[in-house]
Amino acid sequence: MILAPEVLTLFILNGIFLLFATVAFVLSVNIFLNWDINATTPKQYSLEKQSFLAATIVKYIFMLKLPLFLFFVFTLDKISSLLTGAMCAAGVVDATEYGTYLLMLKLLNLYLFGFWLTLHYLDIKNPNLPYTKMKFEFFIIAFLFLVMEIVLEGIMFASLDIDKMVSCCGSLYSSASTSAMGDILTINTPLLLGLFYGIFVLMILFYFFRVKYLFALLNITFIIGALISLISLFGTYIYELPTHHCPFCFLQADYYYVGYVLYTALFIGTFYGIRTGIMEMLGEKSCKSYNVSLIFNTLYVLLVTLYPIVYFIKNGVWL
Amino acid sequence: MKNINLYLVEFAINALLRAKSKNIFILVVFTLLTSLLTAVFLITGSIKHELQSTVQALPQITVQKIKAGRHYDIDTIIADDIINIAGVSEATPRVWGYYYFENAGVNFSLLGIDQYEQQYKESLSKVVETYDFDTPNSEAQMIVGQGVQKIMQENYYKDYFNFIKPDGSFKKVTLAGVFDAQTQLESNDMILMSKENVREIFGISENRATDIVVKVPNPEEVSTIASKIKMMYPDTRVISSNDLQVSYQNIFDYKSGVFLALFTIALFTFFMIIYDKTSGLSSEEKREIGILKAIGWRVDDILKEKFYEAFIVSFLAYTLGVILAFGFVYLFQAPLLREIFVGYSQLKTSFELPFIFDLQMLFLVFFLSVPIYIAATIIPSWRAATLEVDEIIR
Repeated sequence: MILAPEVLTLFILNGIFLLFATVAFVLSVNIFLNWDINATTPKQYSLEKQSFLAATIVKYIFMLKLPLFLFFVFTLDKISSLLTGAMCAAGVVDATEYGTYLLMLKLLNLYLFGFWLTLHYLDIKNPNLPYTKMKFEFFIIAFLFLVMEIVLEGIMFASLDIDKMVSCCGSLYSSASTSAMGDILTINTPLLLGLFYGIFVLMILFYFFRVKYLFALLNITFIIGALISLISLFGTYIYELPTHHCPFCFLQADYYYVGYVLYTALFIGTFYGIRTGIMEMLGEKSCKSYNVSLIFNTLYVLLVTLYPIVYFIKNGVWL
Repeated sequence: MKNINLYLVEFAINALLRAKSKNIFILVVFTLLTSLLTAVFLITGSIKHELQSTVQALPQITVQKIKAGRHYDIDTIIADDIINIAGVSEATPRVWGYYYFENAGVNFSLLGIDQYEQQYKESLSKVVETYDFDTPNSEAQMIVGQGVQKIMQENYYKDYFNFIKPDGSFKKVTLAGVFDAQTQLESNDMILMSKENVREIFGISENRATDIVVKVPNPEEVSTIASKIKMMYPDTRVISSNDLQVSYQNIFDYKSGVFLALFTIALFTFFMIIYDKTSGLSSEEKREIGILKAIGWRVDDILKEKFYEAFIVSFLAYTLGVILAFGFVYLFQAPLLREIFVGYSQLKTSFELPFIFDLQMLFLVFFLSVPIYIAATIIPSWRAATLEVDEIIR
């Protein structure tokens, strides 16, 4: 399993990330402890130089992590054909106890690194470098998450066992299953729809009235609402199958890879949404992220809404 | 995030052209590396596809008898029991084996067929329609693949062949026909004759067979039926076509994985070379950076320009490498490299690598080439970008 070329590639890149992130981590600790913008000592001067290296490294890692995340999901999908019982990435994620945590950690890291970059751009825009200390403090925490992710990824791929039977997404995401998933799927449809569209409408309202904190907060709830409604309702329309709730299958070619579009739109939309809150906290202007957030969130809502409507037009009934 | 500064890109291209010989050297080496990597993935992808499609033509379940840990002849009566399992449409005992032809040092695959039996492969039914295998009166006949025919002719067997039986006596079989060229992958080393003749050549008794193939029309039932057979006859090995498919995938993942693992060494060596090359700035380049900073370029601008340089070189190398690999594999059928994956045998089948376009493979090669090059240039570019202006220009 370890020797599948995709997995090896992930390992090689993780190795490079770890190497460079460690360099950046050491620099960050150094900067965090000794940074003093008003000092004119040679030490401060070299720290300022080092901050460029650390920033470049984080930028490099983030720029790669974005496409690599999609590649990771793609790899899970491919490996699923090797595991008995698995039919899509859900089976592989569930094959080991680490899979779910790894996926969540990966997502969290994407947001974290993204916010780091936001902080970085704000920082270098200002000649006084007001956020340098803060951004490296932030990176020290992000680094720990990154190491955790890399270690977990190693453990997960190492403990995948081809001969073990795993569950298919059909049984993992069914309302009969006893896990939290089962409870989520039994939420009744009008409530769920009301919540999902309610959040969205509120978001538009706050957009027009520029209530930034609430807008950011709504984006966080929007991620959760969107994922739950996607699994329990919209997914079934994508599959045109009332019993299939899998959040991974629509990443496959059979559904024209629509999952990648959906998740990317959701990520960009909510990322910029939360970003407005952070910018507000720092007292910066954030018009652009407002617009980007709203555009991508709307795109997401339109896309998922389109599936049931097209289904209704074609068949004349709701699922 | 920010818009790409086209002037900076232009500057980067010009900077690359200024150090022409150095960059062309890097480009050529890097292109060769990526094309080698791509070629390997293309070849495995094609062969895997070819094998997967033959697996689909195979019977769903094969039952073999295992005795003392080895494959042994199976009782033909077992086939009658298997066909009684619900869901099985056919169970056919097969008589086949490998015949080692010492003069040429090759193995022929001998397959026995019955004229009036349902054939488990479509290509075989066609053969049965064309030729008559049910001729007890006349002499024994066979149909051979093209590769077999060639070997036989080289050894002066034009119309017949003498098989040596286990007891040392000869069995003369006349050549009745040759397979079509289209089925070359499966029939190149094959000899087809009636079951009685194969039994005679291999010394298999009348109520025994090499294995039993089972046809299951509903693919969902295959695994259940396989386990039922295993329960009925614990001394057998039951292989389903799904198992084969998975193991093919594993074998080729393993093969290209081993290659990649070895290739990692090359990648890291390359990483070192790039690190070294980009670290060693000539005094001219240092001057250039000094002047740029003196006229107002920030550290970030220089870093960005260096990044553009690295990206242009590595992406160009990646694109060229991929194109080169496609040409090498599909136009020239990958000489040399292909031998690693096809395996060697004297009667090797010659087949065309089918064209498979796998987007994921392109991403795979991308992640193994461009980021590694850029990573190697991070620290040297930072060093260059933070040089002191006064120290350089002075």
